[in-house]
Amino acid sequence: MSLYKNSPFLVLLVLSTYALASSVGVNLTASDSADRLSLSPAAPAVVVDSPVFKPGVDSLFSLNLLSSFPEDLEISDYCSDLLHIFGQRYVAYVNCLVTAARPVKVCQNCFSTYGSLMNIYNNISSDEMGPGNVSCRDSLLRSDHLMLVYLLYSNMEDIWTKSSCVNCITKGFQSLTNDTLYFISTLNQTLTCFEKYQQGNHTELCKDCKNAYRDLNELYSRMETNLTMCIDIEDSMNMTRRLWSKNFNCSFPREETVPVIAVSSFMLFLPIIFYLSSFLHSEQKKRKLIHPKRAKSYTTLMNIQDKLS
Amino acid sequence: MANIAKKVSWSSRAEESGVAGERTPLFNGSEQPRLSRQVQLASMVGYMSLTAVPSAPVTICVYHEALKNRSNHNHLNLYFTEIFYYSCVSFQSLDYDNIENQLFLEEERRMSYMGFRCLEISRWVVCGLIGFLTGLIACFIDIAVEELAGIKYQVVKQNIEKFTEVGGLSISLILWAVLNSSIVMLGAIIVAFFEPIAAGSGIPQIKCYLNGVKIPRVVRLKTLVVKVCGVICSVVGGLAVGKEGPMIHSGAVVAAGVSQGRSTSLKRDFKIFEYFRRDTEKRDFVSAGAAAGVSAAFGAPVGGVLFALEEGASFWNQMLTWRIFFASMISTFTLNFFLSIYHKNPGDLSNPGLINFGRFESDSVAYNLYEIPLFIMMGAIGGLLGALFNLLNYWLTIFRIRYVHRPCLQVMEAMLVAAVTATVSFTMIYFSNDCQPLGPEHTEEYPLQLFCADGEYNSMATAFFNTPERSVRSLFHNQPGTYNPLTLGLFTLTYFFLACWTYGLAVSAGVFIPSLLIGAAWGRLFGILLASITSSGSIWADPGKYALIGAAAQLGGIVRMTLSLTVIMVEATGNVTYGLPIMLVLMTAKIVGDYFVEGLYDIHIKLQSVPFLHLEAPATSHWLTAREVMGSPVTCLNRIEKVGTIVDILSNTSTNHNGFPVVVQPAKLCGLILRSQLIVLLKHKVFVELARSRLTQRKLQLKDFRDAYPRFPPIQSIHVSQDERECMMDLTEFMNATPYTVPQETSLPRVFKLFRALGLRHLVVVDDENRVVGLVTRKDLARYHLGKHGLEELQVAQT
Repeated sequence: MSLYKNSPFLVLLVLSTYALASSVGVNLTASDSADRLSLSPAAPAVVVDSPVFKPGVDSLFSLNLLSSFPEDLEISDYCSDLLHIFGQRYVAYVNCLVTAARPVKVCQNCFSTYGSLMNIYNNISSDEMGPGNVSCRDSLLRSDHLMLVYLLYSNMEDIWTKSSCVNCITKGFQSLTNDTLYFISTLNQTLTCFEKYQQGNHTELCKDCKNAYRDLNELYSRMETNLTMCIDIEDSMNMTRRLWSKNFNCSFPREETVPVIAVSSFMLFLPIIFYLSSFLHSEQKKRKLIHPKRAKSYTTLMNIQDKLS
Repeated sequence: MANIAKKVSWSSRAEESGVAGERTPLFNGSEQPRLSRQVQLASMVGYMSLTAVPSAPVTICVYHEALKNRSNHNHLNLYFTEIFYYSCVSFQSLDYDNIENQLFLEEERRMSYMGFRCLEISRWVVCGLIGFLTGLIACFIDIAVEELAGIKYQVVKQNIEKFTEVGGLSISLILWAVLNSSIVMLGAIIVAFFEPIAAGSGIPQIKCYLNGVKIPRVVRLKTLVVKVCGVICSVVGGLAVGKEGPMIHSGAVVAAGVSQGRSTSLKRDFKIFEYFRRDTEKRDFVSAGAAAGVSAAFGAPVGGVLFALEEGASFWNQMLTWRIFFASMISTFTLNFFLSIYHKNPGDLSNPGLINFGRFESDSVAYNLYEIPLFIMMGAIGGLLGALFNLLNYWLTIFRIRYVHRPCLQVMEAMLVAAVTATVSFTMIYFSNDCQPLGPEHTEEYPLQLFCADGEYNSMATAFFNTPERSVRSLFHNQPGTYNPLTLGLFTLTYFFLACWTYGLAVSAGVFIPSLLIGAAWGRLFGILLASITSSGSIWADPGKYALIGAAAQLGGIVRMTLSLTVIMVEATGNVTYGLPIMLVLMTAKIVGDYFVEGLYDIHIKLQSVPFLHLEAPATSHWLTAREVMGSPVTCLNRIEKVGTIVDILSNTSTNHNGFPVVVQPAKLCGLILRSQLIVLLKHKVFVELARSRLTQRKLQLKDFRDAYPRFPPIQSIHVSQDERECMMDLTEFMNATPYTVPQETSLPRVFKLFRALGLRHLVVVDDENRVVGLVTRKDLARYHLGKHGLEELQVAQT
């Protein structure tokens, strides 16, 4: 249930990362074009040739051009391509997340996009040298203290671990696991049962759907102990439970108040009997006083009060 | 019962004095008929004011007469009157003063420099062992409680779940109650029938031991076993108790056992640490053991040292402090180490203490200057509630001493309390409507759903259906909104009375955790209410913080410890910044509580009739001199005494003296000898005649005295033939040749100070020619206390 509580927060997180990602995207394209400009051999010449500094619409660009670095410090084509793909996949994943935020279906819907995002990130961060003997890991991930690419990816990774989607997805991001599929089908059975009786009397619903609901509950608690759960399952179960308990009011009623009160008042009565009987029948412990030997001197003939007064 | 206060004292010389308790002047002389009424009063009240001697025997007889004729309606009167005596037969003093006789001096002369160094090293070794073993015991208790309670709660939980569905929850109630009371029955049986001294938390007993009172069997191995099993039973049995108090007693027993290098109960002697076989050395180790116990219980090594300092600090020095700190530290980290193995991350040493308060680290638990008055107010509330708790428990204990003293009754009482605890808890849970969503991390160990919606749990059940330690932690740390105010209010109310009822049962159990729990509950309630009355309150009024302060206030109000408790709480929370509020709270709680009634431990020490010497002599007692305080005449021995005389004196059950001044004629003091020494001498037949006839006889050494320590045989078990009775005994070599003496005019506070500072057992009062006139013992000093009517004297009673 707390997932339900937390979900606004989750959505917020997703949104903010999305916003971050999109703005990053813009910057990225901007710097991208700048890079391309700087890479073209003619560009420096143009700048050098024009002695007049034109403050204008693309002053930013020209500033950028001015501060371009020697070639060996810039990133290679290969790396910028990688970065570009990363951006696209990132956007795809975030888009998917946002649409699957409520009711939560982030694992079912977005596992493939996450898989591809992970792939490209692994490519970027791998040790292996790409074509031209370049490694993009250092240039893309570790060149500055912001470490933007890493930050972006780790946000997404956090979401993925927090939603514990790993438990519902097969290795290699192929498909949902069998357990998950089975759960979804059981859930659907229950929900169809709910739908069937929704209009009519709820007591009938409680009676007739009880088996389906109980099966679902048992399956859920089995999965809970097996740790084969992800946020999708938790959330759908939460919603079903809410339907069952709150909307349809199928919780157990408190109906045996009388026997409980009877038994507990009997229990509470026992100590009273015990104490009364021990008070009346038990023999009281007696103490024998001993008189200590004291010196017989004239001063002790006076009493304390005497001395005090 | 309103006029009871007036009846507290009674003068035995009623012919001369008025009714002392009514503060009438003494000189006017009261008429004879009042005597009978006064006798009646005294029989109801049971103690007398300081009286003069001459007519005493007569009045004692009258007193007994009155007791016999007591009519039945006096039962009620007795119930409410004070019954403070101190007992002279069951309690003896410890010999904290070294006996410097010739044997001792000889041994010391023989000992080399290396010998002393080794002694010092073995002291450290013993302290390390004490810490290690105490930590192990704490670990054992913790694991046993966790496992057994886990099984119990699982069984009950499954049962409740089953019957929620099909109906018949009253059966679950009965199951719970029966389970609880059968487990508690086990614990109560071993305590009541095998070792009654293991009942309760053991802190009062250890306090007395460190004060110098030898309470029989308090540091025996059997006591330790019963204590450990008993505390496991009572916590698993679901009583409103904790396992922290008994840890202190357990540590002390471990210390007393380890330092002796042998076990008298198991009849094993490892022939090590023989030098430590006397009261002085043992006392130091026992205080180390108590400290190790505290530090294992709360994960508070410094708190443990300060506890030993505060509660048992009659005798202290810096080197000892350092050693005790060593023992405490070892104990905490032994516990950590073994618990880390149990929790399957071996080597992690950062999870100390049986009770772990968890960490208070987030921003919301910071506090501000404007909260200080609130904290102080909470301290005052804690003091009031603590005083109420103590008062109720005091009445209950008197009732128990009077009417529930047979072991089988005690077992029954404990079972009833366990059953009622289960019943009350169940009823509370059953009728509670407070449902909360399950947390993501499942902080609730045994969530009960009952009639809540699926996916939610009953909030009352986290407080009641749990071991008390866990409940405390969830009150401290669960996020705001986990409990609603009604739940907390009801919980505080019921738990207060349950805890009050439980303390003093014949089970071994502590009062720390229940007090913390009560305090945490009302503290949290306070925090919630505070947040609701202030508009932007939710920012600073974190209920967890107020739960902590409330817990401190309640605990301070009940046990009235100051310095050590502050440090313990600070260490247990691991947050030094809480030092100030906790200190203020404990101060306020103590001041407010002391206005009404004493601390719980002091009450129980009093009710056990222990001759306890407090820090200072009672005020306004300077006019009392040694002459009035001392016991006289004194049974003295000659330096060369007839064996028959010695045996007769020792066998005299009516006097049962323990120390005898040794005199040379005419009555000049030349030394002091103890009963235990005489018994050893008699046992080895150190008679002058025998020494002459058997020249080869081995000379008696200090080792022979140590071997008999601490259980000297009674005089009845030593056979002395008729011929031997005519022999003579030379005490010169064995007596303490330089006992402390005071002149007759010494004031009571002076005598008191000597006793308290030097740990004396006997103080000889001499006249100006060094003749023995009297003997002051602990019992002569402990009788005086400052009551409502000035200085009062307690009566010595035989139990």
